[in-house]
Amino acid sequence: MSLNKNKTLIYFTLFLSCVGFSQEVKTDSTKTEQLEDVIVTATRTVRQLSSLPLPAQIISKKEIQSVNSLRLSDILNEQTGLITVPDFGGGEGIQLQGLDSQYTLILIDGVPLIGRSAGTLDISRVTVGNIKQIEIVKGASSSLYGSEALGGVINIITEKPKYGFNGDLNSRVGSFNTYDNSLNLGYRKKKFSISTFVNSFNSDGYDLNESDALNTVEPFNNQIFNTKLNYNFNDATSLLLSGRYYTQNQDYVASEDLKGESDINEWNTHLKLKHKYSEKWSSYFEFYATRYKADEYLNNPDNSRFSESDFNQLLLRPEIRATYSPNKKSAFIGGLGWNHETLKRTDFSKEPEFNSPYAYLQYDTHPTEKINIILGARFDNHSEYKSQFSPKVALRYKLSDKIAVKGSVGYGYKAPDFRQLYFDFTNATVGYTVLGYNAVSTAIPQLEEEGQIANIVVPISEFDNELKPENSVSFNVGIDYNPITSIKLNFNAFRNNINDLIDTRVIANKTNGQNVFSYYNVHKVYTQGLELNTSWKPSNNLKISGGYQLLFAKEKEAEDAFKNGNVYARLTPSSSSFQLKKQDYFGLYNRSRHMGNLKVFYEFTKLDLDANIRGTYRSKYGLYDTNGNTYLDTYDDFVKRYTIWDLAINKTLFKNYTLGFGIDNVLNFRDTQNISNISGRIIYGKLNIQF
Amino acid sequence: MKTIKFLTLTALFIGFTSCSSDDDNSTPLLEIETQTISNLQATQSADYSTNPATITGDYIKFSFETGATTTGDNWDIAFRGSTILVNGGTATADDQPERTGNASVYLATGTLAEISTVNETSLAQDDATNGLAITTGSGNGWYNYDSTTHIISPIAGKVIVVKTNNGMYAKLEILSYYKDTDTASDSQYYTFNYVYNPNEGVTTF
Repeated sequence: MSLNKNKTLIYFTLFLSCVGFSQEVKTDSTKTEQLEDVIVTATRTVRQLSSLPLPAQIISKKEIQSVNSLRLSDILNEQTGLITVPDFGGGEGIQLQGLDSQYTLILIDGVPLIGRSAGTLDISRVTVGNIKQIEIVKGASSSLYGSEALGGVINIITEKPKYGFNGDLNSRVGSFNTYDNSLNLGYRKKKFSISTFVNSFNSDGYDLNESDALNTVEPFNNQIFNTKLNYNFNDATSLLLSGRYYTQNQDYVASEDLKGESDINEWNTHLKLKHKYSEKWSSYFEFYATRYKADEYLNNPDNSRFSESDFNQLLLRPEIRATYSPNKKSAFIGGLGWNHETLKRTDFSKEPEFNSPYAYLQYDTHPTEKINIILGARFDNHSEYKSQFSPKVALRYKLSDKIAVKGSVGYGYKAPDFRQLYFDFTNATVGYTVLGYNAVSTAIPQLEEEGQIANIVVPISEFDNELKPENSVSFNVGIDYNPITSIKLNFNAFRNNINDLIDTRVIANKTNGQNVFSYYNVHKVYTQGLELNTSWKPSNNLKISGGYQLLFAKEKEAEDAFKNGNVYARLTPSSSSFQLKKQDYFGLYNRSRHMGNLKVFYEFTKLDLDANIRGTYRSKYGLYDTNGNTYLDTYDDFVKRYTIWDLAINKTLFKNYTLGFGIDNVLNFRDTQNISNISGRIIYGKLNIQF
Repeated sequence: MKTIKFLTLTALFIGFTSCSSDDDNSTPLLEIETQTISNLQATQSADYSTNPATITGDYIKFSFETGATTTGDNWDIAFRGSTILVNGGTATADDQPERTGNASVYLATGTLAEISTVNETSLAQDDATNGLAITTGSGNGWYNYDSTTHIISPIAGKVIVVKTNNGMYAKLEILSYYKDTDTASDSQYYTFNYVYNPNEGVTTF
């Protein structure tokens, strides 16, 4: 443990002196209990969570605060069926319903985060310090959101300021010299509100493997600035302006000799003008702009430059939408928008530009009190790949006050990324070449002219048709059951049929003995399973919740290969091979068959103290094929199942001061060989001051 | 007389039938041979200062008839590094041994025991234009190469079926490319199981 004792001491001394001079005690305005959870992500209108025909979930601010989460990855990891998976270079992406992180759209206040340099969107980039709630909608939602909303949507709703001037200061210090400090300031008058949020997060990182020059996570520091301004011109018209800036600096170490830095700079601006014409009609104009920039370099020991790479993505999106509610039973929402995207990147054949106008419409109706139907569709026209039509239908039927059934079918897709279209990369030391799909028709003739091509394996004419987006049809069927008011049970069965997954293949052989690779649509994959969520509140003080997900994630071609007896394995690397059976196919990499969680929250009202203990379980999973047959089968080596226990205690003093203490990963679970994003036990202290 | 004739016929009949049950050929079939060859060293060296790299080293020739390596022309297949040649067809490079035989090979999918008959139409010879009958490269032929661990591992379920230079059939499964089958040890040491049918023209094992 590298918890710095001196700094901790200073920290607590500071904390105590703060307690000392606190005189002005204001009435706590946060204690207003919400009666019904509402969610905006599922329909882009305000909807009651409990009556929604789609599988959705809300993580409240209260839960985030009581478990003392720092980053989005911390809190999502504790939710049923969600797991963060480490990517190359320390990023963490989210796996949802067994789908990779490329297939889940991440939004902040309804607008997307960009910057998937290798497909993964690193969600540890998002702090939870100024969050009102996190909304998770599972199942394909491209009918509203377009690309990337294939597995689901995670929307982070930031906090709005309360009346008057107020704010809070939050500070947490923990193992690995990790410091997280944030300040939230808010001001609100009748017509006007403004809030500012500043966060600073730095850490020494950690090292799971001491034998090499590299750390598992190199030291880093990052800052977030966020300002939101809201102005109500009158009862009908309002304007929202919001800006966010994120900057991170991290050491970049490739080997003992090659060292450098990596920098990320990201900004988002969001303007939203709302006008309400009547009780029935409202319209919105939205303009969103965001840039994500990542630069890194490596230097030789003599400080000369070894390599440099950069990634610079820009997204501009104007959108108008309108809502129309002819009566209390039904609501329409429709929108028109335009996505404009550009990217500058090392090893690209050109500076690509995407233009994609889109339109969507959704009808949400309650023909009778018991039935709710949602019909929606969206059309995305795209300059660089096949245009997409994404319909969705959802239905909920209330059998009684205690039980309701629901089901939904939707289409989802993910646009090919810039890399899959425009990459033009030749490895300097080994000599192979990777070409994006749209780069093939110009790059291959050029390589031929230079005499680098020995023979063509896939004719260039095959690249005449546009590359298809990866797409899926998702099915969800569920039951909401509340046998008594203190018990909630949600059950959901899901199936995602994913087509046209993009992979690489050899398209030509080079004269240097290496190959030229490019991308193509090939794989068919499915994920299916069950999800169960329960919560029990026997008293106002106690809440127990549990969740479980059963998952089968398989590639169809692989399944057939096993079924037809074409797959073999060896028990030891040099023993004779034997034929594998259908049931020996385990499925896709990095998927656990079983995942579960159990959480107990308890409030000691008299002591102003709340405590919780949370456990998350993950069954065994495979990271790669270890027996050389290219498939993950039951004879491969697996990462062992594990359980992580976290606990946290928060004590409120003088109403506005909260002192927290906790241990994440109490039993110090680590798997240094296989799991790079679990650092081991983390002990921390937290202070929160409200004013 | 009739009795003698009948007895003679009966004796002949019994004689014939008893013969046919275990032997319907005048020359009895030879026994099928099953062997394991361990640590067949087939070292190549590479000079990476040239582009493409210059590979040197002798091909180690193997004969199924003798069950051993050979320096003569009676070889069936030959090893150097991860490359396997067959004694039939035309050379794909200048430094290959002269092909004097008419051997041919193909790569079958199955376990060694499962492959019980030869699919003669699949048999191929090395060819100056079409390349080697046993294709090279990770995943293309008999092995996979792991670019992180740099380990070459024989693909499970791949059996090399050989028509030898003297018209017999053999099948072999490569088990390891490392000395004493230890991947931490030196590479370019073959260990393989083979089955050789020393009966000319018999395509079953």
